[in-house]
Amino acid sequence: MDGVKQKIGMSVFRETYYIYRRNLRVWFVPATFLPPLFMSGLLYVLFASTFTEVTNLGGFSTEDYSAFLVSWIIVQAVVFSGGDAGFALLTDMMSGYFDKLLLAPINRFSILFGSLLVAATRGMLQAVVIIAIALALGVSFQGGILGILTLILFAAVFGLAWSCLSIIIALKTKSVQATQSSFLLFFPFIFITTAFVPEELLSGWFKVAVKVNPVTYVTEAMRAIVIEGWVWSTIITGVWVTVVMVGILMIVTTWLYRRVTA
Amino acid sequence: MNNNAIIQVENLVKVYPGDTKAVDNITFSVAEGEFFGFLGPNGAGKSTTMKILGTLLRQTSGRAIVDGYDVIREPQKIRRIIGFAMQEVGLDDLATGRNFLVMQGLLYGMSRKEADRRATELLDLVSLSDVSHRKVGAYSGGMRRRIDLAGALVHNPRVLFLDEPTTGLDPQSRLAIWDHLRNLNKQGITMFLTTQMMDEADQLCQRIAIIDRGQIVAEGTPGSLKAEVGGDMVVISVAGENDEERRRQEEKAQALVGERSYVDGAHIIDRGLCVNVKNGGGTVPDLLKLLSDNDIVVTDLSLSSPTLDDVFLKYTGRTIRDDEASGDEYGQAMRQWMGLSRR
Repeated sequence: MDGVKQKIGMSVFRETYYIYRRNLRVWFVPATFLPPLFMSGLLYVLFASTFTEVTNLGGFSTEDYSAFLVSWIIVQAVVFSGGDAGFALLTDMMSGYFDKLLLAPINRFSILFGSLLVAATRGMLQAVVIIAIALALGVSFQGGILGILTLILFAAVFGLAWSCLSIIIALKTKSVQATQSSFLLFFPFIFITTAFVPEELLSGWFKVAVKVNPVTYVTEAMRAIVIEGWVWSTIITGVWVTVVMVGILMIVTTWLYRRVTA
Repeated sequence: MNNNAIIQVENLVKVYPGDTKAVDNITFSVAEGEFFGFLGPNGAGKSTTMKILGTLLRQTSGRAIVDGYDVIREPQKIRRIIGFAMQEVGLDDLATGRNFLVMQGLLYGMSRKEADRRATELLDLVSLSDVSHRKVGAYSGGMRRRIDLAGALVHNPRVLFLDEPTTGLDPQSRLAIWDHLRNLNKQGITMFLTTQMMDEADQLCQRIAIIDRGQIVAEGTPGSLKAEVGGDMVVISVAGENDEERRRQEEKAQALVGERSYVDGAHIIDRGLCVNVKNGGGTVPDLLKLLSDNDIVVTDLSLSSPTLDDVFLKYTGRTIRDDEASGDEYGQAMRQWMGLSRR
């Protein structure tokens, strides 16, 4: 009996891996991942060049605005591309390929996990490219190589959270259009943060909104690794926020997915 | 119930959200090795029944058993022995034909090597080896059905579900698919097909259930169903110098054939004399001899047998095409689910 159970457990990994590979091949083509990367690179270079002198206001913990900006550029990239996961799932559902997967004697959650792993992979790739641009702009990463790897991991896990959100929207609305345009709803989460200036320079309602936005804490944790190194209190807060977000969204996603595929 | 039945369905009901009763209390069984068909118009409940048997949909009530396993309780066991080729083929347009098949193999638990070998075999079987490296999205309609069929065969299923396998295909591609299906059935695979094409059911199936508005209205072999509608019809034209003379000859012929025991009736129509007989082919020689012995010259003779169209008409009061506009009920429910249509 144990042997059988173990075999089933093993096969979930195997199946997830095959579906992940297939999704990579189908959904991870240059036409889908290059435009968002181009957008992120453009945003990065534009903002970094526009606001070079802003660090003179003080409170930035760095003279280099490019270094200040890099964590937010990564965050906005993974948040904006979160919608792709829901879009891919719905497209497979409408084409009937999803039915084909359900017909196979596999665990149905391997289909979901296969999709989410692609989202994580995309997050990592985006982080790698943006970090490469940052290095080219002369940013020095205080956290070192280990810091860079942590940033990539953050991008992967945080990207997962937003992909879960888009899958939830996809399963709830069942509409490709709604899922695609849902990223507009993420705008406040991205911009009501300490994206461009540190908290000290903010005031009024905006400061309050920034403080309740979970994206702020993730951005700050990643930023600390870049410009200050291992500032544990900030980093641990960011880790907590990420873990809680991913945890809650994963539970809701799995629950909804189970209902839809039952 | 039938002991060698591989599919058993009892009092199956499926109600979609919004109270659409797609399947309304149907009971039937399919024997192992049989070529069985569901014939009915769009929206009759064919696809819904098939999707329940294929473990893709849950019924509202009733029981469905495939190879001894209940579709609700042991779907995984059923998935291992069935293949399913879909109406709106669920193909991976961005994969190559070979990739698609290898992926199918892997999903059914094969090793990479096995899956590769099986893909080669299947590509050969459905004559797609030449285009195996091309993306499925670039395939023609007939090629898509064939690659889909190959995908459904990857694990050597014992039962093959075919949801309108040739709808929308040109006649040549349709014949090619039919050949494949006949061969597979000869190898012992139980075939369960849905179709709205009379000739398809007639050509392929050993047994047919006619389904309309969620209910089975008739069941039997194509031959027996047609026999229930009535015998064959022989239309005879006779020679005559003018209309009056011809008419006289027709009346003479009518009286003569009416004596024969195999004739159910004869009446004169525009084209000539219409004779209803039990077995058209077998009676034609005798009819011809009878007429020529009595100096009636036959100029033309045509024989027509009842078609499944006539069967459908008899049981439903409509021709199968009348319902075309209503659309497929699963598709309707799906579109509703997708939020694409509002009632």
